[in-house]
Amino acid sequence: MNGPLIEVRDLEVTFETGGRGLFDRRRAPLRAVDGVSFDIRRGETVGLVGESGSGKTTVGRALLRALDPTAGQVLLHGPEGTIELSALAEAALRAVRPRMSLVFQDPYSSLNPRMTVRDIIAEPLVATGLLRDRAEIDARVREIAARCKLDLEHLRRFPHAFSGGQRQRICIARALVARPDFVVCDESVSALDVSIQAEIVNLLHELQQETGVSFLFIAHDLSVVAQISRRVAVMYVGRFVEYAPTEALFFAPRHPYTHALLSAVPQPDPDLGFHPDRLEGEIPDPSEPSPGCRFHSRCRFARAACRDVVPAWREIAPEHFVACHFAEELDLARARP
Amino acid sequence: MLSVENLSVTFRTDEGIVTPVADVSFALAEGRTLGLVGESGSGKSVTAKALMRLLPGTATLGAHSRMRYVDKAGQAIGIERLSPRARALRRLRGGEIGMIFQEPMASFSPVYTIGNQITEAIALHRGLKGRAARALAIEMLAKVGIASPERRIDQYPHTLSGGMRQRAMIALALSAGPRLLIADEPTTALDVTIQAQVLDLMRGLQCDLGMAMIFISHDLGVIAQVAQEVAVMYLGTIVERGPVRALLQAPAHPYTRGLIAAIPRLDRLEGRLHPVPGEIPSPSARPAGCPFHPRCAEALAGICATRVPEPVDLGGGRVVRCHLHTGERSVA
Repeated sequence: MNGPLIEVRDLEVTFETGGRGLFDRRRAPLRAVDGVSFDIRRGETVGLVGESGSGKTTVGRALLRALDPTAGQVLLHGPEGTIELSALAEAALRAVRPRMSLVFQDPYSSLNPRMTVRDIIAEPLVATGLLRDRAEIDARVREIAARCKLDLEHLRRFPHAFSGGQRQRICIARALVARPDFVVCDESVSALDVSIQAEIVNLLHELQQETGVSFLFIAHDLSVVAQISRRVAVMYVGRFVEYAPTEALFFAPRHPYTHALLSAVPQPDPDLGFHPDRLEGEIPDPSEPSPGCRFHSRCRFARAACRDVVPAWREIAPEHFVACHFAEELDLARARP
Repeated sequence: MLSVENLSVTFRTDEGIVTPVADVSFALAEGRTLGLVGESGSGKSVTAKALMRLLPGTATLGAHSRMRYVDKAGQAIGIERLSPRARALRRLRGGEIGMIFQEPMASFSPVYTIGNQITEAIALHRGLKGRAARALAIEMLAKVGIASPERRIDQYPHTLSGGMRQRAMIALALSAGPRLLIADEPTTALDVTIQAQVLDLMRGLQCDLGMAMIFISHDLGVIAQVAQEVAVMYLGTIVERGPVRALLQAPAHPYTRGLIAAIPRLDRLEGRLHPVPGEIPSPSARPAGCPFHPRCAEALAGICATRVPEPVDLGGGRVVRCHLHTGERSVA
């Protein structure tokens, strides 16, 4: 396997909430991401799963410097050395921008209806000044459009005429046109029908084989993430609870929350049964952090230590990280094959 | 209790006449759940809205459409014949047939408390008022698993989380005491753990109340867990229906097979997925013959492109619309 491309160390992102409004009810800052460390290798797809509000999107944005981390480091490794993305000033950042991009969830609202498909795909090249010559831009746009299985005749049209699947291919072409090292796909296939979703997942896979791009694939649908990722991270209220190679995470999870999440996915076979772990108790409020493990209020295995002591993030097997005091002792063996 | 025969719906649009539902027939017995599956644009929601007579004015029902419903008093009602303003229709909606939508925020009024809205439904359909209605509303909220319902009942919809709002909406639909509940993608917007709770809840309540359900979803995993029977829709037609286990384990229609193969599975890590080839045609360009034939690898030359397949009874409650099952051969 290749070396790391992105390295994240103790990443924290907090948002100020409330205040200055009516009666100035100032609340504690919201810790959307609270000490996350992981890495993404060159040419690798890392899946990031978690429920809404867990901070998945915020992690993705912080890696791209679409928002500024409050603390911690994001490092981008490359042949010409290591860049500390999290510390770059605006001007230096602009030079690095073409190396990273983003594919959004909604292929309807993320395309400007007044631009042709050609101009939409060309935009990153133009905006970053990577290419200036019109013929060169055209050539590159046609090349990436063909790779994304878009009809070259369509480049002159406007996005409204296209289906959801075609629009998402336009978004992917735009994200890859500047030959980035790293792309964040934030729920990029969640809004698509299952057949189109399968098509887009296969396309991302092929593009990765051809170009060696790395993906951070954020999704709430675990089945899709399982198919596309080499490693998967599970996030819960601002923290990573587990990060492991896909097989290990799905067939031998070590964190009770990962297990609960997997058990809640209904499978299209009535004989497989459906016995989700019961998750009682409330999800903690990220603006009122409690000591101890974030999951303890809903965990059926919780003991006294879980309430008081934050579990260490540790590697219990090669590349298998987990934050649970009792990861070694718990018997989470999955009933399903 | 409900039988639908030859239901067709057409819409007048700027691009001409479109037919989102074409010749749909199914029946539902008391206390049973029918899962309606299909991709976007397959006509699932339009079918549901036709049953509630909630279609917009640009829609017309086909001349042979029959929707026969037997009400609590044992009286048969032809839903297609009710006039839009009839008292009978108002009694039917909510009290006899309840509906849950995908987006809970759109179903609650933001300016009334949850309690106001639930007690209103109770007063309308069950004739209970004041304290009795409030007590029943609290009971329903507790039943759907909302903690401290005495407090929640006086809150406004926006103060609840997504999962809680969806559960409150189920409570609202159920408090009118319907015999049939139509649930249109009721869990699609929810996280999986909340979805699991809501599904569990709906199955439990169905057992307790003996209510029948039409459960609309694009997710065959969800359908496998809640429904006893499934109908698979493609371009407004039910291409296959039957008992859930038999249909999922041995699908008879090429489209059903393709749909099942395209689903990413948690128990099989394959890296590559298997999409159904081709794209769904636009509703204004409905193919002649079998609607699936342009994408079907097994299409019979000279037959599938020209003739609409009639339903074929495969036995065991299974019906499929496909020429491969009528003994047809390719015409050279």
